[in-house]
Amino acid sequence: MPPQAIDWSQLWYPGPSREFSAAELARAGGDAPSRTLVVVLMINLAYFALALLIVAPAGITAQLTSLLIAVAVAGTAQSRALWRRPTRQALMWHSLGAGAVVWLMVTGWIWRVNDRGLRSWLVSVGCLAALSLVVALWLVTMFRAQQIAAKLRELDERERAAEMARQLLAAQIQPHFLFNTLAALQHWVLTRDERASELLTALTAYLRATLPLFQRQHLPLGDELQVVRHYLHVMQLRLGQRLRFEIDVPEPLWPLPLPPGLVLTLVENAIGHGIEPQLHGGCVRLRAQQTGALLCIEVIDDGPGPGAGASEGLGLGNVRARLRQAYGDAATLALQAAPGGGACATLTIPVA
Amino acid sequence: MPHRILIADDEQAPREQLRDAVALAWPQAELLPPAANGLDAWDAFLEHEPAVCFLDIRMPGLNGIEVAQRIRGRAQVVFVTAHGDHALAAFDAGAVDYLMKPIESARLAQAVARVQQRLAVPAPGPNLAELLARLTSEVIGSAPRPPALQVIQAGVGKEVRLIRLDEVVYFEADARYTRVVHSGGEALIRTPLKELLAQLDAAVFWQIHRSVIVAQRHIAAAVRIDEGNMQITLRGRPEKLAVSRHFQGLFKAQ
Repeated sequence: MPPQAIDWSQLWYPGPSREFSAAELARAGGDAPSRTLVVVLMINLAYFALALLIVAPAGITAQLTSLLIAVAVAGTAQSRALWRRPTRQALMWHSLGAGAVVWLMVTGWIWRVNDRGLRSWLVSVGCLAALSLVVALWLVTMFRAQQIAAKLRELDERERAAEMARQLLAAQIQPHFLFNTLAALQHWVLTRDERASELLTALTAYLRATLPLFQRQHLPLGDELQVVRHYLHVMQLRLGQRLRFEIDVPEPLWPLPLPPGLVLTLVENAIGHGIEPQLHGGCVRLRAQQTGALLCIEVIDDGPGPGAGASEGLGLGNVRARLRQAYGDAATLALQAAPGGGACATLTIPVA
Repeated sequence: MPHRILIADDEQAPREQLRDAVALAWPQAELLPPAANGLDAWDAFLEHEPAVCFLDIRMPGLNGIEVAQRIRGRAQVVFVTAHGDHALAAFDAGAVDYLMKPIESARLAQAVARVQQRLAVPAPGPNLAELLARLTSEVIGSAPRPPALQVIQAGVGKEVRLIRLDEVVYFEADARYTRVVHSGGEALIRTPLKELLAQLDAAVFWQIHRSVIVAQRHIAAAVRIDEGNMQITLRGRPEKLAVSRHFQGLFKAQ
């Protein structure tokens, strides 16, 4: 980490260097200070005031009491103002104001008190009171500014995570898939077709496997294939003979980790763009092999082939973004015309 | 005469579900055998002239919107779709209705009532062609198309002859085959005419009959024989081809 530069301006103009906008304050600065903290602070100050009054000489008890009350009232009001708007400028004005009030009170009394000892008592207590008040205001302001900044960061992060999860889910659970499946299910339930139960089981297995898919950074290839099998099972029940598929992934590759959902997206694309547009259906082949430190996964269909612009479609764009996030430039996704017609999507991922 | 209804969906279960639901909602109607893709739907439309078509939007061959474009207002079209993409808002304003899968019987009854009302009052609807053109680009602008046909491969005896598309004069359905009449002779191919249709440019090749598609540049003239019959003559060829009623609108004096 580079050494932080020292902000020398804090010496003559102390306070938080960041100033929050009204929108930021509304978003993260609406809360009141913790009640426990306030009560504990009050009790401590009361003890301190009591101790001060006990040790102070009897002649200035009235003055000291009024000074302490003034400091308590001003301190509370100023702390509340700074809690709501913790800026450097506000801190400066409040500190000057507090100092001025204490100075005026103390100077007023000194004129009228003749005893030298009592005078020095008043001056010392006044200085101490003004200093404590200013330090307390500074602490409140700094603490509050840090707290708001941390809360803003946390809110931002939470929103980003929610947005990411939403995007992934939207990309994954395709409404077309869901509602067409439900339509088939409804018909088979109404007509007491025994395929209803099988379709419901397959759909349930698919949803159960898909929903937690994106809470994890990586998933073993074997688990991903399980999701793909559930998906293909649902599609096969719906499309009947129009869909044929083969999965050829050697067992030693099953434990290899990869970001979840990528292979599923490629298979969904193969069905949507390769199989469904064909009058007589077709075949999807999923193959994987490891060459050296590279895992290569191919999804091949025998449909009309990738059209212009297919490579930049939403699904593939999503896959590429997630590959970049996980592997930088080390992983690739290619979409080409398959030999003998159809499309071939090739995913190449480094394995440790 | 009961109204004929055509249903088209590429998946068996939703297709049957829609058929059963329509039979319940409209018992007086005559249900045609449902079509399993857009080409069958268009073919069935030409053969049976249904008054109402329930079309799935995503279908192989021709999609539902392309079928509706070919029907061009000659039947009441109701779209059926699994998911309301943003385009559905356009339907709300227009002549056609839409249904979401799975079908709800109350919603279907509403659509049937709307269609029956439209059939009873033959008022011109809003501009369907324009609506469809907008939908085509919105809904399926990115959907994959079958590759455009470049050459026809026809087996003649032991050889396979390649016929360039610009040599073709017309295609004619002939039992299980399609007859390709071209500048150098004739050939038979196995691809059904309706499958060829989806791979041909509709501006270059005009369908003039359920079983005939003609290259537009070879048409010399269209001759009206009587009220219902029309024929076309070809440039430099003796054949006269009949234009069926549905396609006579293609030939209009300007």
